[in-house]
Amino acid sequence: MPIAVYPGLTLTGAKVCDIVTKPQAQIDAQVALHERYHTPFVLSAMDLSAEAEAFGCTIHSSETEIPSVTGRLVTTLEQAQKLSVPQPGDKRTAVYLETVRRLRQLPDRPLVFGGGIGPFSLAARLVGVSEAMEMTVTEPDLMHVLLEKCTVFITAYLRAFREAGANGVIMAEPAAGLLSPRSLSQFSSAYIRQIGEAVADGQFALILHNCAAKLLHLPAVLETGLKSFHFGAPMDIATALGKAPADVVLCGNLDPTAAFVQLPPAEVTARVAKLLSATAAHRNFVLSSGCDVPPSAPLANLDAFYEAMK
Amino acid sequence: MQDLKALHEAVLNGDAKTAKAVTEQALAAGIEPMKLVQEYMVPAMAEVGRRFECNEYFVPELLLAARAMKAALELIRPLLTASGVQPVARVALGTVKGDLHDIGKNLVAAMLEGGGYEVIDLGVNVTPEQFVAAVKEKGANIIAMSALLTTTMPAMKTTVDALQQAGVRQQVKVLIGGAPVTQKYADEIGADGFSESAAGAVAVAKKAVGN
Repeated sequence: MPIAVYPGLTLTGAKVCDIVTKPQAQIDAQVALHERYHTPFVLSAMDLSAEAEAFGCTIHSSETEIPSVTGRLVTTLEQAQKLSVPQPGDKRTAVYLETVRRLRQLPDRPLVFGGGIGPFSLAARLVGVSEAMEMTVTEPDLMHVLLEKCTVFITAYLRAFREAGANGVIMAEPAAGLLSPRSLSQFSSAYIRQIGEAVADGQFALILHNCAAKLLHLPAVLETGLKSFHFGAPMDIATALGKAPADVVLCGNLDPTAAFVQLPPAEVTARVAKLLSATAAHRNFVLSSGCDVPPSAPLANLDAFYEAMK
Repeated sequence: MQDLKALHEAVLNGDAKTAKAVTEQALAAGIEPMKLVQEYMVPAMAEVGRRFECNEYFVPELLLAARAMKAALELIRPLLTASGVQPVARVALGTVKGDLHDIGKNLVAAMLEGGGYEVIDLGVNVTPEQFVAAVKEKGANIIAMSALLTTTMPAMKTTVDALQQAGVRQQVKVLIGGAPVTQKYADEIGADGFSESAAGAVAVAKKAVGN
C-alpha cells in the first residue's frame, strides 16, 4: 500500500498548502483515495517540517510545495543545550493530531496511521541538513544533545497520536540513510530504539521509514528493535527480505518519482509485477511506494498500481 | 615544509585545518598553485568520489572533503587570478526556484572547483532570471541546475526557456542533476548534460565544453 495522501488533491481540488494547514483538507484528500482504492488503512500526510516548526525553525511555505525548513535554528552547543522542547500540538503538529482524531471517526473504521519525523532527520533540520552531516564527525556532542531533545519530543508526539486514536505511526528518517551504517547506528537507531521501547507494543505500531537506506544499512536499521520497516528505491528489498528476521515486516519500494510520476501506467504495472515476483518467497513483505507519492503523480498510475496488486 | 602528500591526505580525510596549513606553507615555499590543485587536491577528490561510489564514504565524508578542498582553494584562487590562469569555464550553479535542497549542489560546487572551474554559487531557490543574470552580468558559460523534487524540476525547463528568450542560450551549456532528474528529462528540455552524481559532474562539464 503506497504512502499517498497528496495525490488526493487531484480529486478534491485543494492545494498542498491546504493539506498541511487544515485537517479537513487532509482528511478529504485521504478519504478520496481511500474510497477510490478501498485501502485498509488511512494516513495523515507526510510533512517533515511540522516538528521542526514546533521547535522554532523558520518555515518556507508555498501553495504547491510541502513546507520546508530554512536557515539554522541551532549553531552552537550552548544553543542546543538551551533549546526548549515543544509540546505535542504546538504549531502545525496540532493539524496532524486533529487529522488522526477525525480519521478515527470514519464509519468504516479503517486502520489509522499518523506520520512523523525521526530523531536524526529532525535534529538535522534544527542545525541544517548539510551541517548535521558534517557535525556527526566534527561536533558529535552537539548532535547528541539535540538528538536527546528530539527523542523526548517525538516520544511525546507519538503518544499523542496514540491518544488521538492512531493504530500506529510511520516515522520518517530519511537523513539517516545518508550516513555510514556506523553513524546511522549511533545517531539514529540508538534513539529510535528508545522511542520504540516507549511507545510501540502489540496495540500500537511504529513503522520506520528510511527512503535513503541501502542494503548495507540494514543491520544498523534493525538495531532499532522495531518490527516494521518501510524502504525506498535504494534498498535491494529482495535481498533484505532474505537477511531480515522472518517476524520483521519490510515494505516498499516502488520509486515514487521514477515510477509513480514519470512512467506510463503500463510500466507501473510491469514494475509492480517485477517487484512481486522478486519478493514472492517472503511472507513478510508488503508492497508499497518507496516514499511519499508526490502530488504530481497521475491518478492513472495509482490506479495501475492498485490494479496490479490484486 | 610538510610533505605535500599531507595536502592530499587532508582533503581525503576532510581535515580543512591541515589542508589550509599545508597549502599556506607550500605557497610560502614557492610551490606552484596549480601543482597543488592538479597533483594533490584533484586526485584526492577523485579518490573521495571513488570511495563514495564504493560505499566506503558517505555524505558526511564527501561534505568534509569538499570543505577541506574549499579551504585550500580559497588561498590558491587569488594567486591563479593574479597570474592570469584562466578557469576551464565559469559555472553558475544553483538549486532551482522553489527548491531549498543544497547538499548535492554543494558537492558539485566543490568537485567543479577542484576540476579547475570557476564556480558562482547562486544558492538555493534560484529563479530563471537569476540564472540569466549570471550569464549576462557574470559571464557564466555553464549553467548547472539541481532539483530534488519532481515539483521543482519544471523550473529547469523554465530556466532553459528564459535563457532562450534572453538571447543567451547559445552561449552557455546547461547541465542538470538531482534525485528525480534523468537523462531522458535532460534530453526533453534541451539540456546539454546530465549527471547522476556529484562525482560525475566534472566529467559531464568537461564533455559539455568540449575539453
